[in-house]
Amino acid sequence: MTSSHAAAARARVPLAHWRHHFASENAALALRVALILLMALLLALSSDAFLSTANVLNVLRQASLMFLLATGLTLVILCGGFDLSVAANLTLSACLAAGVIKSGASPWLGVATALACSTLAGALNGLAITLLRLPAFLATYAMLWILQGLAFHYMGGQEIYGFPPAFRALGTGFLLGVPVPVYLMAAVLVAGTLFTRSTNVGQEIYAIGANPEAARLSGIPVRRRQLLVYALSGLMSGLAAVVYLARVNAADSGMGEPLLLPVIAAVLIGGTSLFGGVGSLLGTVLGAIILALVINGMNLLDIKAQWQPLIVGVVLLAAVLVDVVGRGHRERIG
Amino acid sequence: MPLLALRSVSKSFPGVRALEDVSLDLHGGEVHMLLGENGAGKSSLIKVLYGAYRADAGTILHEGHLVDIKRPADARRMGIAVIFQEFSLVPFLDLAHNIFLGREPRHRVTRLIDHARMHREARAALDSLGLDYDTRALPVHLGIARQQMVEIAKALSQNARILVMDEPTAALSDREADALFAVIRRLRADGVAILYISHRMKEVLELGDRVTVLRDGRRVATMLRGEASANELIAMMVGRAAGAAGAVYQRRHFGEPGATALEVRGLCTASGVNGVDLVVRAGEIVGLSGLVGAGRTEVARAVFGADPITAGEVKLFGAPVHGGPDRVASRGVALIPENRKQEGLALKRSTQDNLLAASLWKQFPRGWYRARPARRHARALIERLRVTPGEPRRLASVLSGGNQQKVVIGKWLVAGCRLFMFDEPTRGIDIGAKGEIFALIEDLVKRGAAVLLISSELSEIVHVCDRAYVMRTGRIVGELARHDLSEENLLRLAMHET
Amino acid sequence: MNAPARSVTYRTRPLPAIVPIGLFVVVGAVLAGHGFASERNIANLGLQASILLMLAMPMTLIIMSEGLDLSAGAVLSLCSVVMAMMLAGGHGLVAALAASLGVGLAFGLANGGLVSLLGLPPFVVTLGTLGIAQGAALVLTEGNAVSGLGPGISALYADHIAGIPLPVIIALATWLVTHVLLYHTRFGAYVFAIGGNRDALVLAGVRASAWHIAIYAYGGLVSGVAALLLTGRMNAAHPTVAIGMEFDAIAAVVLGGTSFERGDGRLLGTVLGVATITVLRNALDLLGIESSLQVVSIGVLILVVIMIDSARRTWRVHPA
Repeated sequence: MTSSHAAAARARVPLAHWRHHFASENAALALRVALILLMALLLALSSDAFLSTANVLNVLRQASLMFLLATGLTLVILCGGFDLSVAANLTLSACLAAGVIKSGASPWLGVATALACSTLAGALNGLAITLLRLPAFLATYAMLWILQGLAFHYMGGQEIYGFPPAFRALGTGFLLGVPVPVYLMAAVLVAGTLFTRSTNVGQEIYAIGANPEAARLSGIPVRRRQLLVYALSGLMSGLAAVVYLARVNAADSGMGEPLLLPVIAAVLIGGTSLFGGVGSLLGTVLGAIILALVINGMNLLDIKAQWQPLIVGVVLLAAVLVDVVGRGHRERIG
Repeated sequence: MPLLALRSVSKSFPGVRALEDVSLDLHGGEVHMLLGENGAGKSSLIKVLYGAYRADAGTILHEGHLVDIKRPADARRMGIAVIFQEFSLVPFLDLAHNIFLGREPRHRVTRLIDHARMHREARAALDSLGLDYDTRALPVHLGIARQQMVEIAKALSQNARILVMDEPTAALSDREADALFAVIRRLRADGVAILYISHRMKEVLELGDRVTVLRDGRRVATMLRGEASANELIAMMVGRAAGAAGAVYQRRHFGEPGATALEVRGLCTASGVNGVDLVVRAGEIVGLSGLVGAGRTEVARAVFGADPITAGEVKLFGAPVHGGPDRVASRGVALIPENRKQEGLALKRSTQDNLLAASLWKQFPRGWYRARPARRHARALIERLRVTPGEPRRLASVLSGGNQQKVVIGKWLVAGCRLFMFDEPTRGIDIGAKGEIFALIEDLVKRGAAVLLISSELSEIVHVCDRAYVMRTGRIVGELARHDLSEENLLRLAMHET
Repeated sequence: MNAPARSVTYRTRPLPAIVPIGLFVVVGAVLAGHGFASERNIANLGLQASILLMLAMPMTLIIMSEGLDLSAGAVLSLCSVVMAMMLAGGHGLVAALAASLGVGLAFGLANGGLVSLLGLPPFVVTLGTLGIAQGAALVLTEGNAVSGLGPGISALYADHIAGIPLPVIIALATWLVTHVLLYHTRFGAYVFAIGGNRDALVLAGVRASAWHIAIYAYGGLVSGVAALLLTGRMNAAHPTVAIGMEFDAIAAVVLGGTSFERGDGRLLGTVLGVATITVLRNALDLLGIESSLQVVSIGVLILVVIMIDSARRTWRVHPA
């Protein structure tokens, strides 16, 4: 017999009961689209510069960059884990790629270097978590500092800038009037959604995130899949690194750090639950757009750059709150 | 005069009469044993006693005065303490502090903890039970048995005069149990009233001054020491009241068993299995009976690869098996776990997702999951199992217990599944759904599958199984063939009697 | 000692991995030379370790309670900025300290409230408050350092009592206060309980959530006091100077043997961890190894220590 008094006090209290009746993914996504339209409306009313083509495309470009980095994190969170090292991974990969390209080698080699290193870092995270059974936030937190430290060391306090135009096109170029990163975002969205929704492995990832023990007892190879998502997260960080590098045309050891909070916020605002098993890449796209609108709004309204971390922090906390309260999860009472 | 008296206490929940007209006296200086099958009302009675439940009807008298126990604080004030199976000790605080958690003695001026006094009084509490543990020791270094003793000391130090113990020896070795009995005898000599729930007949007969048998929420009888034999007590626990519902399900067809599907030899695990041999063949439903804690779930989990095996051998369809659940499941084995919400379902996901969770690669061998065929397959299962609501996209969390269980079973109705292990499949399910589930199980064996059925409901084992093993303390203590299958025989084997 | 032989005795806990590692580091540092063992360097070490020690004390409690505070460094920076701005604005030291404490307490309560009452995961919550604190510091200072604080605070920093620098005394005092809190008050006992078996606390009728908030609030208060040292050291406040200090604090706690999961805390271990990290960094500095690689080595060290401790734990699963 259990200490039922305390156990009952700890039971999940289903608050928003109506939301539980259907897998209400579509409703959630529609809500976010509505929020985007609302924000766009408000910004259009507050600033003349908002609706210009250049600005809108810029917002989309920003969103795409954030989305690329947020993709891997989304997969990891869907699978019930977390990755604090995505931004540091981006930093190191971008710096390494920059070094390679600057030394005269082909940009493709730079890209390959970035992807290889980032995937390796992701795989190491995965191993630490699946084999060594370290808690995800701790392992990836340590990895964050390791990667950041390596980047600092490699760059030696310098910046690397000035890359061949062909490479820069990845980040700054346009194709048929639309920024290249947006195509990348679309491609990754399609590929990623295909992976998560239309493959067995994708279904298994959702299952693991929703209830890892039930997934294990259903015959799903949990640790193998977890290792895979962390490796994929690493890979996506590398891809984001390359595009980001192309966009800003410079690499320095602090480039990734300001991205961590916005990326986490984007994933959470997009509807992916911190507890796993719920969410989608499309949601993350919408979350990235929302965040890009927030940042764009701050720029248009002349809010100084110093306010950004603060506002993003508030947005992040708000997103977490909505996630927890909206799903009726109360971990503790008493 | 009894220290605590219950008079005609009743407690109901929607659809269930947990306690009906139960009267019970707890006298100081007496060990009062409470016997009853699963669902007889024992845990409800305990909850009423310590304030987790409030009785719907009846009265409670404490030392002759009428009282109302509305919440645990009331019970505590009257000196009622329950020793729980899951222990409430803080692992890295010393024993003295654990005993005084929440009521630490403090120095008058500084308000800092008075360690000297705390250890002194803890020492006294432990000594009063004949325990010599160092008060500076940490629970983390004590085994379960000793932690339980500390729990008792903790209760006593809060001036408990009425102690309720629920299966305290379930996880103890014989030697540890003896130490516990010594403590209990001391308490008895001190005038404490003890309500002791046990399934071990030996304990009941040796330690009990009074025995009350509960059945279906009612008190059947209260006997004094020596007034009834073990067999008589068992008969009282098991006998059906006149007019009670007949068997939930009656098996219609018993066929000839086929090839051996599962063979277990000398199975041992760290989780409490101590050398188990059993065999399950195609076409038969083999029951695995025994009391809670006997190790039945652990056997099923070990066979399924969910827990590591420390010794022994498991052969599936003639070939030995190694590895985790993913390997075992791919050989055509299914486990429907005991805890359906925590281990069987992903409540956040839809009925469809849950139904497909174990058969993704069978449905889509190339790895491309397609929503439409998936939904078709889900609908087919939903229809076959009569799951309501029938919309595949609804979340599993909104389904009733019975329907949730059907989904967990449905998950495994995959082509190629030839051995099914059901762990308490009808727990918490209404009668109608129970019948459906057993019909399903019978259908499975008719088609050639082998079934291992773990159940605490004796009538289920009797009416559904071809034969049954009985487990006790991690071992098989008996096997009953069809003609020997009766509730009394099952209970007798489970409770120590030959 | 004539203690009676008991069936269950108090077992002194095995030394955490930090002891041999710390010794190794210290010996290595001395052997490596480069002026490590000079009197001036050692005196310097004490000052360097002070702030880290102060941050690591409440961090120990937080980690014991299954939590984490990633915002500690940012909050410290913000407190320092607020204190400096008060001083530069002509207010006295007392008022400046009060403001700093207020800010620290506010963030502590926010962290604690979100974690305890709403059950939000600590690492995400404190990540959010990190951003808020950092943002606030940037906004208040427009990214620049705050100077012109007058002589008061740097004099405080340079002060000595009985030959020991005041900052070191303040840090040691923090250790003492934390020790008393953890081992001699109900609050400390409840820290063990919240991390080890929260149900036990609730069953005992204690308001666990309130005490849980207090743990984070304590962290905020200590950051407020530590701001004294930080501001005094440079006689100025820079909005991002302490960012990342929480990493060293967390590292010190983990190295010292405090576990994330079971309500097991070693305050002395944390102190040793602080000493080890400070010595390590100092020695690496003297060897010309840059800060970034120092961080890498600390990160690797954490992973190694965790692995050792968890391996030991699995071997110790069956108590006698």
